[in-house]
Amino acid sequence: MQKQPLAAGRPEIRGDAPTKASGRERFAADCYPDNLIWAGAVRAGVPHGRLQAVDSAAALAVPGVLKVLTAKDVPGPNRHGIIHQDMPVLADDRILYPGDAVALVLAESREALRRAIKQVRVVVQPLPGVFDPEAALAQGAPPLHQEFADNVLMAAEIRKGDALQALTACAVVVDGEFSVPMQAHVFLETENGIARLEEDGGVAMTVSTQSPFRDRFEVGNALGIPYHKIRIVSPHLGGGFGGKDGATVQCLLALAALHADGRPVKMQWNREENLAAGYKRHACQLSYQLGAKKDGTLHALHCQLVYDTGAYAHLGGEVMELGMEHAGGPYRIAHTLIEGKCVFTNNPVAGAMRAFGVCQPTFAFESMMDLLAAKLGMDPLQLRLRNALVKGDVNCAGVRLTTSTDIVGCLEMLQSHPLWRQREAWKRQAPANTRRGVGLAAVFNAAGYGGKVRDAAIAKVELSPKGAIVVHNAVADMGQGNASAFLQIAGHILGQDASRLRLRHPDTTTAYPSGSSSAGRTTYTFGNALIRACEELRARLINRAGLLLAVDSDRDVRLVPGKVIHPPSEREMPLEQLAAFMPQEDRVCISQFVAPICEQVPDTSKGFLIGFPHVIFAYGAHLARIEVDALTGAIRVCDYLAVTDGGAVVNPCMFDQQVQGGVAQGIGYALMEEVATHEGAVRSGDLATYLIPGALDLPDVISCAFQGREESGPFGLKGVGEVALNGPLPALANGVADACGVRLRQAPLTPERVLAAREAQQCI
Amino acid sequence: MHLTFTLNGNEIQVEAADDRRVVDLLREDLGLTGTKEGCGTGECGACTILADGESRLSCLMVAAQLPGAHITTVEGMTAQTDGALLQQAFVEEGAVQCGFCTPGMEMAALALLRQDDAPSRDTIREGLSGNLCRCTGYVKIVDAVERAASDIRSCRDRENT
Amino acid sequence: MRTVLTPSCLEEFFSLLDAHPDALPMAGGTDLLLKLRNTAAADARPVLALGRMAEMHGIRAEGEGLSIGAAETFSGIIADPLARQQAPLLSLAARQVGGPAIRNMATIGGNICTASPAGDSLPPLYLLDAAVEIVSRRGRRRLPISQFILGPGRTSLGEGELVTRVLLPRDGCFPCQSFEKVGRRRSMAISVTSFAGQARLDDHGSIAAARFAWGSVAPTVARFPALEHALVGARLDDETIRHAAEIVRSGVSPIDDIRAGAQYRRIVAGNLLVRFLEGLRG
Repeated sequence: MQKQPLAAGRPEIRGDAPTKASGRERFAADCYPDNLIWAGAVRAGVPHGRLQAVDSAAALAVPGVLKVLTAKDVPGPNRHGIIHQDMPVLADDRILYPGDAVALVLAESREALRRAIKQVRVVVQPLPGVFDPEAALAQGAPPLHQEFADNVLMAAEIRKGDALQALTACAVVVDGEFSVPMQAHVFLETENGIARLEEDGGVAMTVSTQSPFRDRFEVGNALGIPYHKIRIVSPHLGGGFGGKDGATVQCLLALAALHADGRPVKMQWNREENLAAGYKRHACQLSYQLGAKKDGTLHALHCQLVYDTGAYAHLGGEVMELGMEHAGGPYRIAHTLIEGKCVFTNNPVAGAMRAFGVCQPTFAFESMMDLLAAKLGMDPLQLRLRNALVKGDVNCAGVRLTTSTDIVGCLEMLQSHPLWRQREAWKRQAPANTRRGVGLAAVFNAAGYGGKVRDAAIAKVELSPKGAIVVHNAVADMGQGNASAFLQIAGHILGQDASRLRLRHPDTTTAYPSGSSSAGRTTYTFGNALIRACEELRARLINRAGLLLAVDSDRDVRLVPGKVIHPPSEREMPLEQLAAFMPQEDRVCISQFVAPICEQVPDTSKGFLIGFPHVIFAYGAHLARIEVDALTGAIRVCDYLAVTDGGAVVNPCMFDQQVQGGVAQGIGYALMEEVATHEGAVRSGDLATYLIPGALDLPDVISCAFQGREESGPFGLKGVGEVALNGPLPALANGVADACGVRLRQAPLTPERVLAAREAQQCI
Repeated sequence: MHLTFTLNGNEIQVEAADDRRVVDLLREDLGLTGTKEGCGTGECGACTILADGESRLSCLMVAAQLPGAHITTVEGMTAQTDGALLQQAFVEEGAVQCGFCTPGMEMAALALLRQDDAPSRDTIREGLSGNLCRCTGYVKIVDAVERAASDIRSCRDRENT
Repeated sequence: MRTVLTPSCLEEFFSLLDAHPDALPMAGGTDLLLKLRNTAAADARPVLALGRMAEMHGIRAEGEGLSIGAAETFSGIIADPLARQQAPLLSLAARQVGGPAIRNMATIGGNICTASPAGDSLPPLYLLDAAVEIVSRRGRRRLPISQFILGPGRTSLGEGELVTRVLLPRDGCFPCQSFEKVGRRRSMAISVTSFAGQARLDDHGSIAAARFAWGSVAPTVARFPALEHALVGARLDDETIRHAAEIVRSGVSPIDDIRAGAQYRRIVAGNLLVRFLEGLRG
């Protein structure tokens, strides 16, 4: 039977599905090298203080314990970070949150490790702590980082026109204060990796990481090892969502490897450690004023966003920057003043998480749109349609949109969907003690790193000696399926079916730096580089085959599954045979792509380091139909529709996977997820107290694609990894307001908050 | 202790501490890393295996409970037709994203289908309610189990005719 | 390393307990193994696995009632036709314990002896007038569950004693039975408030008899015998229902914890009764 080559646009089966479904796929967690040593961190347990002593005598007496390392065992500067190198590998003086690593234990077994960690005595002289931005900004608050006055990592503004003046001229103004909590990623495969010292003094690691290339710099800078001597492989991740962007285990693992007498070291955070010490989404307080003309045209926005970045900088400034670029929603607003502060506290470290900085202001502005619609007496969908951005408009950050912008198309698709059209009849059928409501959200999310950062990829594709096409991936696949998309692209261009396509996991030794797996950028950026590499390889294979088949013109030489053919002469050559004739250097193609940047950067921003502005956005229109149980306050999401503009759709199944998964995390964020802390220590410390949605908590999310095209994208696509997560919180809050007339401004929308709001309003 | 039990259809003998967690015994002592650990506290279901035909959480089982038991892990799924059809449905219906929940999810689904060969979507969700997935929102997993149920019934009907 | 001892009969159990008085009994293991995960690992107390003793298994008729082995899992209870017929309230609650795999492992005896204020099987067991059969070298004794459970995590189980069976007398005639569990999620959730109710109406549609029990709103299962008595002969009008809910709200003693506040639990406790009584109106 003829094999079919993979083709862009078809819902091809993911290349990684068979090995994952059979349990054969080896995640980093599944690596157990021979003769391994287990490593584990001792954490401070106090939110703020000066480290006085680490007493490891009792720990060293536990049978099976080999070493207990402290800061004095760290060569090099002992500081790591992505933008700011402010995190110690092992604390040497200041403790800034309870998860600060203070010692590293090496042991023969996990049991010995667990016992020893409990026996290490850490002596800290406590200092007063600050546990929310207000406290951190108050007069007399303890300064947490010398280089940052007043505990402010970044203060910035986006100013377009004169919002304060324009608000006074608005026919209608609404205001609101909103608050969203810290969220945890809860990838199922916790932070982990293995490491081994190499003969040249370098370290080889296999890590569950989103950024193997950048990790080398973090580890190298912290430990004084030249970055090119650090080799990192990232297998498929059991989830990442941003929480594995930035060193987690890497510096500790490398340190352990340096002290392991040549033995391989393994570190696996258990779930409690992941929740206590892993990165989080920033909690945020938002204050909004939105004004419109009588006909519903948005006219002025003034908002203030305060992000709690926790003990260390991580990507706090960049998270806030992106949030501020999105603070006005996917709408035309003539005048905007967006002010942001990113503040240090002694809380867990906030870093990157899917919908990076954006889901926080999305809650606010999409709630505000409904408040505005109510005050204007306008239908909320009409209000959004009236103001929705189109290509060529200037957005709330002052950036003129030169790329595909199809939010209107998404809203129109939603408008014609039966879930919207039949909403009133549906609401009227609410059962006893139940209130039904419908809520909308218009969302958007930029892809890519933005301005002043190189956003680029280098792709390598190879014809193997056995005649297979090997894609050397360089951007970690954390489940989003970029690796599968790359195989699909390679199959499409080189005319091959799945059995001929191989993926090599990102390996810093054999692949090329291509940035992190984040920001919805990998299929777009690496995909574009890969297209060029594959086209070059196709041309080359056709040319070499033409030579070997002795045809006078390559015009009719074609690649089909497994071979090269020349129909006019009926000559053909299996790929294995072709490969045998080609030297290795000839079988490898490398090409590159740099993502477009904004050509006309507006003069609207102040205070950002990097990121401003972004130029490519995915858009979405969401509809939630909910039921509120009037007796318990519980919200049930009965139906959920997400219409997404991701440009062209290369793999419809994978497109839906991203949207459904993003909505699921968004519903968790909306209804039940909140990292509860007390004085910096995480109280929701396991999966019984930090709840994510299970199969009974979610409806069948309907994902529709608005079929568009982004000219600069591979096969016309844009990244859609993040946009869907932004919708549920505002859509559900708007649904609750529609169902019960109560406006919730604090997430998550717990049954308790719903009931309290209803009682306060004495709802029937 | 020295223990004898049946694993994926074969009788095996292992040496293990009484209180060694079964998830560790499978992954580290026997090299069967298909069974995953996501929480260690019985909340996520990633460690789900079948013991005597029932789904159980191997992170909350100890070696001393194994003697005489018939254990099935994801590695042994495809030895039976229904397991093979279920796994194929996961692959083809887009039920796999990061894949870390997948083995446990398949085990739970297999246990469900062996009790109920034509479950509704709600029943499927109920049957998977002890298995967390962070990537999919469960939609395509339910699609896969629904499709597998149909495939298994068809296969059985063909065998019976 | 912790030794796990697996007696195959009661006699062997008691011998092992004599030799290791500090041994930790384990039925399904879903509570014990969690506790051990968090304790100081230096503790070397052995575990006494209870799963292989015939005396602890089986669901059978006893007199006019039911005798359930303490090591019966919730799945076993759900599947058992006798249990479904004679103790439907228990079957209802069993379906909401944890998730499917947990139900295959967790036992009714374990749920009772863990004595969590949030134990899902407890409100129904109180309403069903359950008793536990306790065996020791000294003999057997039976104790109503309301006297067996003393407080959060505390029972009156003494040294050298083992709960072997859960006994349910003949179910009173209550055509209307309901169990509702309110959690922060629809499965795998510790209950924030739970409610079990039984009722029988007379020919006029008034209450002939009604009994209720609440979980997670007090140190142990909460009952309101005076309210139950006062409702005999009462009509199911809005005023009656509202008043009954008020009594419950004032009478429960919930706490604040990470899952919910006391005030919320108080309100919901009353509301679950409202739902039940309104449901009786048909």
